[in-house]
Amino acid sequence: MNRRTALTALLLGSSALLSAAHAAPGTWRGTITMVAADYTPNFPGVKNQLKVFQQIANEYEKKYPGIKIKFHTEPIPDTNTMIRVKAAAGELFDVYWAQAYSLNSTLPKGVAADLAPAFRQPNPYIPGNKAWQDVMDKAQLAEGRNPSGAVYTLSGDRVVYTIFYNKDLFKKAGISKAPTSWAELIAASKKLQAAGVYPMHAVPAYPWWSRHFLSDLYSKDYAKLTGYDGLPGQSPLDEAVAIHKGILTPKDPRFMSWWPTMKQFTDTWPRDYLTADPGKNYDAFQDFVGQKEAMLYEGSYKTREMLDAGVKFPVGAFNFPRLTKKESPYATGVNTANAYTGTGGFQYAMSTPLANKSMREKGKTQAVLDWMRYFGTPKNLQRLTAEQGTYVPTWPGTTAKLALSNFDAAAIQAQIKQPERSIGVANASANLGWGDMQRVFGLYLSGNITLDQAKQQAQTVLDRAAADYARKNKVDLSKY
Amino acid sequence: MTALPGFRSAPASRRSLLARLRGGWPAYLFLLPTLLLVGYFSYFPAYTAITRAFTDWDGLNVPTFTGLENFQRAVTDPVMGQATLNMAIWVGLGLLLAVVPPLLISELIFHLRGKKRQYAYRTLFVLPIVIPSLVLLLVWGAFYRSDGLLNALLGAVGLEGLRHDWLSDPDTALLSLIFLGFPYVDAFNFLLLYAGLQNIPDEVFDAARIDGATGWRRVLRIDLPLLRPQLGLIALLAIIGNVQYFISPLVLTSGGPGFATTVPALLMYQTATRDGEYGYAMAMAVLLMIVVVALTGLSRLLGRGNR
Repeated sequence: MNRRTALTALLLGSSALLSAAHAAPGTWRGTITMVAADYTPNFPGVKNQLKVFQQIANEYEKKYPGIKIKFHTEPIPDTNTMIRVKAAAGELFDVYWAQAYSLNSTLPKGVAADLAPAFRQPNPYIPGNKAWQDVMDKAQLAEGRNPSGAVYTLSGDRVVYTIFYNKDLFKKAGISKAPTSWAELIAASKKLQAAGVYPMHAVPAYPWWSRHFLSDLYSKDYAKLTGYDGLPGQSPLDEAVAIHKGILTPKDPRFMSWWPTMKQFTDTWPRDYLTADPGKNYDAFQDFVGQKEAMLYEGSYKTREMLDAGVKFPVGAFNFPRLTKKESPYATGVNTANAYTGTGGFQYAMSTPLANKSMREKGKTQAVLDWMRYFGTPKNLQRLTAEQGTYVPTWPGTTAKLALSNFDAAAIQAQIKQPERSIGVANASANLGWGDMQRVFGLYLSGNITLDQAKQQAQTVLDRAAADYARKNKVDLSKY
Repeated sequence: MTALPGFRSAPASRRSLLARLRGGWPAYLFLLPTLLLVGYFSYFPAYTAITRAFTDWDGLNVPTFTGLENFQRAVTDPVMGQATLNMAIWVGLGLLLAVVPPLLISELIFHLRGKKRQYAYRTLFVLPIVIPSLVLLLVWGAFYRSDGLLNALLGAVGLEGLRHDWLSDPDTALLSLIFLGFPYVDAFNFLLLYAGLQNIPDEVFDAARIDGATGWRRVLRIDLPLLRPQLGLIALLAIIGNVQYFISPLVLTSGGPGFATTVPALLMYQTATRDGEYGYAMAMAVLLMIVVVALTGLSRLLGRGNR
């Protein structure tokens, strides 16, 4: 049997096993390894230790003696490299955290099992459940779907992005209240700058900021832009089609009408990071904790890091300000504070026999899937997110319990209640070109190119990204 | 009649390969593990890179043969065009930096009076070799910041107008990275040239002095011609090293602003590790290898032509 035949057999075998899997873990006995990422229990060196995932594992082990759940408790600095390297050796973890968009684009096919067949079957650990996917967030499920229909992650939470601020530094600059409009935000930034305080000190990450602006500017076309694939939420396919049609590109006047506003804002920031890679954003948090910058646009997971870092100064949060006609004639004025809520820590994939030799053991795939079904219930998701306190659960019936007791969290709590309607471009999957878009964005914000030059370059980037997406995924965009 | 030194005797040259292997078996036996390791860790990956450059490969699954598609994509990619131009600038200036400052310093130290003084200066220039290169890069990254040492120094000496955002301006970012590491004295190159100067017999210097060849004239007429082997080696290593180099753009600028500091080796690295396109990255690696071979051949040819 050659390698290609063996691979096909393994993949078909794993799919067949998934679709034939039942509730009971079968006769397989052994240890299931898992990378629980931000929900890892007993992670060394963490002040506020998490316990819930271990409790869930203990309950499962008690139910099925002979099966052990072992959590990986070492830091993984680069998840995708870990997945590639371990998969190439056939030693990937049985269950592991990975970004759905990476599994759909840059990571090799065959590192994660397609969970879609299992999602269509009942989860026996959810009373009365007819299909596991019935308890999931439909938009999130659709957003993580591969163009082939495969779904590689069990996703159940999101990161909420907001603007944290140092109340002391605001007071020092004579700012009495948090900004609610762009005019106020830019005015406050200028005051902070004049007072010798960095308003922000970060790489202005295009994938995050653009979602707020585009979700406002394109709000009237929301249904159209998310509907090309016939599923809720904006999938990579929806994005590629919109690029192909020239809607989510500089050909549409709305697309870059917000760039000058963002430039006014970033003109008050130190220039060092404006052209940098968002992966090099590490100084931003340190500078906020060290009280060198007054604001920090970051995910809700930073609240826990602030607690761990022993932040003593009063921290508040305010939402992305609404756009008005002053900022763009195309502004629709909708509240887009909740537009960027990226996928979070409860996002787990299951190894294939190709990436993990132990999955070839008879019955192991069913057992691992059964473990995922066990912890993948709304009840357990609620327990996990409530303890961790920095992610928002997405499954219907679950509620957010953020560990923000030391902070003025009213804005974040209000934001979570907003509907999650989000339009983005160049960021749903790695080969939709956000890296190159970030370069154009940085060059414009730092004053190295004009808006017209930026438009031209952005158009080139997006055309190439859509073509790459279509080529890699064998999609005919002209069909839509 | 005895055989001339350096010439094999006629019967020996006619001995079969097998007989020669049999005769030298202990030596071959000792070499075998090394050869096997070199073969497995050096030649086999190179063979893999060349063969997989013609495929679409994600690093895990079975590669799909795509012919010349990857090469076509690489040579028509505008980013690769800019990266190649950046590399050409880097190789040219890198060559100057690899040769000129170490030569200047080795000349100055070699002609210092007093062995102790020579030793002290030599140590001073070689000592930085113990600093890990990544630390050096990060320190230089801090120097280049808008509030970094470089701008502070310019401000302190009244050259406010020259203060600059060194790494975030596409006009200065590449040059900033190339000139990173002042005083640019590569310790290895410096020691190589210094040893070369030490190898020149005193009689040659004495004769030159009598003929009036002192100062710059001596450097041009005596030192440089006699340092040609060392200079040739440094040039060769500088070309190969700079074509393959991508660490400082990776650490400090990620190839930006825009693509101002992107070089083909960085593009290759990002294509493989970030985008997971190993087949395409290997095509880039093969193209780089061709460039290295061509430039090396050219430098050897020029070196030979000057003899």
